Amino acid sequence: MTIAAEFVGVTQRFGDFTAVDGIDLEIPEGKLTTLLGPSGCGKTTSLRMLAGYSLPTAGTIKIHGVDSTTLPPEKRGLGMVFQSYALFPHMTVAQNVAYGLKIRKVGQKEIAARVSETLDLVGLGHLSASKPKKLSGGQQQRVALARAIAIRPRLLLLDEPLSNLDARLRVQMRAEIRRIQSETGLTVVLVTHDQDEALEMSDLMVLMKSGRIMQSGSPREVFANPANRFVADFLGYENFFTDKTGIFRTVRPEHLTLGAGDGERLDATVVSTAYRGVDLLVTLEAVDGAGQTVRLVADVRNGAAVEPGTRTTVTADAAHLVTLAAKE
Amino acid sequence: MRRPVAATLAVLGYLIMIVPILFVVATAFSAGRTLRFPPEGFSLQWFEAAVTYDPFMESLVSSLYLAIGATALALLLGVPATIAIHRGKIPGRGLVEGLFLSPLIVPELVVGLALYQQLMIGFGLDNLTTLLLGHTALLLPYAVRVTGASLALADPAVEEAARGLGASPVRAFLTVTLPLLRPGIFSAALLGLVTSFNNVPLSLLLQDREFRTLPVTMLDYVQQSYNPRIAAMATIILAATVVIAVIAERTVGFAKIFGGINR
Ligand SMILES: Nc1ncnc2c1ncn2[C@@H]1O[C@H](COP(=O)(O)OP(=O)(O)O)[C@@H](O)[C@H]1O
Ligand SMILES: [Mg+2]
Repeated sequence: MTIAAEFVGVTQRFGDFTAVDGIDLEIPEGKLTTLLGPSGCGKTTSLRMLAGYSLPTAGTIKIHGVDSTTLPPEKRGLGMVFQSYALFPHMTVAQNVAYGLKIRKVGQKEIAARVSETLDLVGLGHLSASKPKKLSGGQQQRVALARAIAIRPRLLLLDEPLSNLDARLRVQMRAEIRRIQSETGLTVVLVTHDQDEALEMSDLMVLMKSGRIMQSGSPREVFANPANRFVADFLGYENFFTDKTGIFRTVRPEHLTLGAGDGERLDATVVSTAYRGVDLLVTLEAVDGAGQTVRLVADVRNGAAVEPGTRTTVTADAAHLVTLAAKE
Repeated sequence: MRRPVAATLAVLGYLIMIVPILFVVATAFSAGRTLRFPPEGFSLQWFEAAVTYDPFMESLVSSLYLAIGATALALLLGVPATIAIHRGKIPGRGLVEGLFLSPLIVPELVVGLALYQQLMIGFGLDNLTTLLLGHTALLLPYAVRVTGASLALADPAVEEAARGLGASPVRAFLTVTLPLLRPGIFSAALLGLVTSFNNVPLSLLLQDREFRTLPVTMLDYVQQSYNPRIAAMATIILAATVVIAVIAERTVGFAKIFGGINR
């Protein structure tokens, strides 16, 4: 695996507040890496340090193996798509996309060719003469993407590129960005707070909390084996309990079944139910192996209705039971 | 009307502002020899009298000269200051901004007196230079506030995007930030021209026989003669101001211009 960029012990402090706390991270060449985490965990700050907009308080940032920590953004050759898109409002779509090429002193003809090629790639060829104000949010986003791609960047950085789009378009654009990434072979770093987006799009998924990396790996690895309670929680694990042998474990709602089965069993009482068509969400209360009262959620498909107050045995499916290394 | 009291007050306010102006305009067209309402007959003779009266025309040129010079200077100082205040990492930003805005608060007579003592008496500067400096200080708050308002509206990421695409700081400023500031600079310029042109206190304190602005000359004039020539001159100024206001409204919009001051 070739490394496109690397964070080595990178810290960013604003006053006494530590926004990024000594992160180490290798970004693989030609792959899509996502930085995932709740708002305020330091994702944008990390991306801005990589792009050169903000100087780390400590640590080193390498791009293609070269220490680039203090290199100004214009010397890094990276493409960045800002959360606000940051299009140049006084220029047409084509002029926006041509901006970086003009600076690179690319010839007139070549600029025209590359602008139309890039706009075609994002499906906006017909809007090249429009001003950004006239475009929809989704179209503006594609212009920002085209502008960043046109310079053939060494890395493409995307800060929450889909968060300002409506739900349907957002899902559509996931595949679109994936397609562009594989067609161009670009190395992409994408920041998001949406776990579905990260799971669907990433080759490498990096989970962050309070300026630290909690876990990184392929979506499959991380999803099946969350390292700690935070990661599990963030990825939708809802049942946390200590088993009879004193080990802290978790299981997803769809792997908690009502009734006795093969796995970890607990005696529980139904607290409430929510019927949702495809499934029935059953909230229960149980006392776990440590003597603590815990709240459990079972996502039941094809099951009969249950009444609140019912006492029942629940089973956490052995094949999907995850042992957590850290309680937090 | 849902708020009869407010509506009545608003109408009253307009009446109080506009009616005296209408009286002045009406008397300017008088055929008589005194400033009296209703005017005696109709003629344009007082307009002719105004534009052929040398003291008015000379001081009009002085006023324009001063307004244009002071506006240019204020923008030259104010625009970079605004950018430093909004974008830079200068310590004590609030203090710096306060310094640039202080001429709005300090009474102009005090500023005038200070300039008179320090610059004219102390450094022996002539009164044109002193007036130019005084008016520049007077206009600085407008330059800072109005351009600051359009800078505050502009997304700082736009300039960063330009840098990311390879532009040096200077190039990013010239090709992206400055074009975004253009409407703000334009409205600050209009506001500066009008403010300087209409100023009396500073100009009054720092006048001399050779260099005198139009409002000061007009003030002198009414103390000595009481005829419609003054009303005609005032009407001409009014018409010019209305033209400027229309241009401003068409190009930038009042809400934007004045939004910058009252932010
Ligand atoms: N320039 C700054 N000055 C002070 N605090 C900042 C600055 N930039 C970011 N922060 C703080 O650092 C933390 C991380 O911010 P950010 O990286 O934007 O989070 P994320 O993108 O993960 O939502 C937040 O608490 C934010 O308020
Ligand atoms: Mg962010």
